[in-house]
Amino acid sequence: MRATHLLISAGMAFSVMTAPANAAWHSYISHQLGFSFEAPGEVKTTVGTYRGSAAGPKQTIVYRSVDDNIEYKVTVIPSFRQAQAEGANILGEREYMFQNDKKVLMDTFGRVEPGKDSIYGRKMTVELPKNAGRETAAFYFVNGNLITLEATVLPANGDFTSPDPGRFIDSIAFVLSRTQPGATELQVPEVD
Amino acid sequence: MRVLTITALAGATFLATMAPASAAAWKGYISHPLGFAFAAPGELKVEKGTYQAAVGGKHDMIVFRSVDDNIEYKAIVIDMTTQANQAATLMGEAQYIFQDRKKVLMDTFGRVDGKFGRKLTIDLPNNGGRTTAAFYFVNGRIVSLQATVLPANGDYDTPEMGRFIDSITFYTVRAANDATELTVPK
Repeated sequence: MRATHLLISAGMAFSVMTAPANAAWHSYISHQLGFSFEAPGEVKTTVGTYRGSAAGPKQTIVYRSVDDNIEYKVTVIPSFRQAQAEGANILGEREYMFQNDKKVLMDTFGRVEPGKDSIYGRKMTVELPKNAGRETAAFYFVNGNLITLEATVLPANGDFTSPDPGRFIDSIAFVLSRTQPGATELQVPEVD
Repeated sequence: MRVLTITALAGATFLATMAPASAAAWKGYISHPLGFAFAAPGELKVEKGTYQAAVGGKHDMIVFRSVDDNIEYKAIVIDMTTQANQAATLMGEAQYIFQDRKKVLMDTFGRVDGKFGRKLTIDLPNNGGRTTAAFYFVNGRIVSLQATVLPANGDYDTPEMGRFIDSITFYTVRAANDATELTVPK
């Protein structure tokens, strides 16, 4: 009996030691931008740039974290309020640029929220050139904001079929009552 | 020499007999008020309809339709101007409804005159044929071209579907010089 206990204890200790160093997942919300998501690790906010033929040159807001060699990134271009009727075109261009010259593994409908509240977008998975990893993304255009969620499994992680990218991109919500209680409010830097 | 001529004539007659009955010429059509042009064979008729969707709601729809060689050609215009600020979601919803519960054979980008859209091919249920469609959102309207090869035609790989959906242009200067102006019902 004692030997059995010892074996179980040793097994549990081994399991804990070999488990990946995953950080806890937190919920993040932006009432100003009208969406929420979940991600592991420490989310940092930066400002970036984007340029498309239809979209033109734009500044972006990037929320980014890295955990267990998976990079999680939410990019928001919040400056299309005057061009919402062009939303389908701007969204299509963003999706096209994402997969251009890459090997596409998945390209399917994305739908968030049920019934009349549905927001339709696109979900894609691509392999990055030069064995740089695998990227899963979701694209939505809501209230003049072009929102992209991207999760990249880096080669150092190597588990390219990890469920974590799917968990990340499917965590987005636009009906904010669906957001988990205790979500951290995101900073929204001023962009052009 | 005479034998050769007779053989050649016989061959030509045989080929003419075997050719499909897709005799209708392709013609260019244009709508300046709607801002697009396309080409289609056969006699084009205009119908009015209603589009209904969960997010999009109920909207008027114009259908320009012709049938040639058991292929149905449809240019569908859905007026979404009152909800144009939801363009991306309305487009996604229309594409989703088109392929819902059908076997999808193709789902890829469409790009015409700087407009990004989507092209899909589906097999219709109960061996009802094969439809290739393109969807674009332009000037507050969903514009969709759809070509359906009916079972009576049976050539599901015909290039005519692609020719139809790829004939669309949003630059009216690119329309055929002799394009017929479409009648837009009130």
